[in-house]
Amino acid sequence: MSSRRRVVLVAMALLAAAVCAADAWAIERFPPPDFYSGHQLPELDQRPLRLPPWMDRVHVAALATGLALSTWFSLRLRSRTAIRWLAVASLVYFGFYLGGCVCPIGSIQNVTLALADADYTLPVSVVFIFALPVVFALLFGRVFCSGVCPLGAIQDLVLIRPLRVPLWLQSVLGLVPFVYLGAAILMAATDSFFIVCRWDPFVGFFRLDGNLPVMILGGVLLIVSTFVGRPYCRFLCPYGALLGLCSRVAWKHVTITPDECVNCRLCEDACPFGAIRPATTEEDA
Amino acid sequence: MSDDRTANPALTRRGFLGGIARGLLGVGVAGVGVAAAGRVRAKDDLWQIDPFKCIQCGNCRTACVLEDSAVKCVHDFAMCGYCDLCTGFFHPEPNRLETGAENQLCPAGAIIRRFVEEPYFEYHIDELLCTGCGICVKGCTDYGNGSLYLQVRQDRCLNCNQCAIAAQCPSDAFMRVPADRPYVVKHLGRQKEGG
Repeated sequence: MSSRRRVVLVAMALLAAAVCAADAWAIERFPPPDFYSGHQLPELDQRPLRLPPWMDRVHVAALATGLALSTWFSLRLRSRTAIRWLAVASLVYFGFYLGGCVCPIGSIQNVTLALADADYTLPVSVVFIFALPVVFALLFGRVFCSGVCPLGAIQDLVLIRPLRVPLWLQSVLGLVPFVYLGAAILMAATDSFFIVCRWDPFVGFFRLDGNLPVMILGGVLLIVSTFVGRPYCRFLCPYGALLGLCSRVAWKHVTITPDECVNCRLCEDACPFGAIRPATTEEDA
Repeated sequence: MSDDRTANPALTRRGFLGGIARGLLGVGVAGVGVAAAGRVRAKDDLWQIDPFKCIQCGNCRTACVLEDSAVKCVHDFAMCGYCDLCTGFFHPEPNRLETGAENQLCPAGAIIRRFVEEPYFEYHIDELLCTGCGICVKGCTDYGNGSLYLQVRQDRCLNCNQCAIAAQCPSDAFMRVPADRPYVVKHLGRQKEGG
């Protein structure tokens, strides 16, 4: 027993010496053999990438095209059907085909990390993925949310019978995205966690694989989506909060044409997202 | 809707303030853009494991968003000693040097041992069986040459923006590598991290 212990001790001493001498990894405790039978070393098994490296450009182009189409459909054609078909296409491509990453929502964190961390450099494609929807929102409103975002699309498609959320509740819950945005920026800036990506509720559905708590959150949100229009977008999405700020001052925006409006107020009830507020009269203002 | 108090009837207070806000936001976005532009690189990122930092904790098997982890063991044959008593293949003190399951380290039986010539054996990884648990990697790294090591398989990896394994990695071994250098070839030495 003691002899074995001595062997172990010697081995440990040798190991420690080797570690000190050769930067740990370069240890060749057992030198590679010279084969007398002429045996050839097999090639290192390196698999190709899942998506070819030029695909990032395709994604950026697809995003730009989607935004342009969404703008045209909502501002020119004013067609809900067209927007819906665009959303389906986006859901298939950005959601189920791409499997979610990198999306504009998550890209907030990449941009933050790039600004905060000197070691992290930002891929060009991510810059475009972050900035394109913001630029479009400054020009035309949230056309990204309406027709291009796969997370919005999946909620839109399961919406059966929208209930009206009371205005006060909607206003209170509407603050959550800003808190979430702040938390996401803080966590990304400290390089601790990309919380928006880890808790992306629908990415598990897009990939048909994912961890359980997030899948449960996604399931609950999808069930809620059947009677409350787009709960994630309205009450959680941090990128939606950012685009909402931009959209408020958008250059051109979907509007109710004042000259044609007869003030029937049917639209207030019809909007599944509670986006159309009662008109303020001059006395109110 | 004419208003004779303003010189330009098209300019309303709402439009004016909107224009200012739009301009400020635009400047803000452009500012972020310019600041970020200095930190840009052309290639996309992929996740990869730095085998020199990996401590084989076993999280790679369980933490991946995929049911069957994207991390697998790879074998760098150029570093291998082709040992008969392979410490990545056998338990530290096997009953006999036989390939029976009770003597093998790998819980999935994913390591294939082939006789080459006396006294050398070659070890291959069956990637369909490998779970990325890193038990063999630990044996090989602690007592052998370290020719077995864990790598993110880029044909399997979904490239999550936040890698779920990286978030749990205790030794900070996960790094973002440029897409044109997706793997670390261990016998070529330490790869420069990131860009």
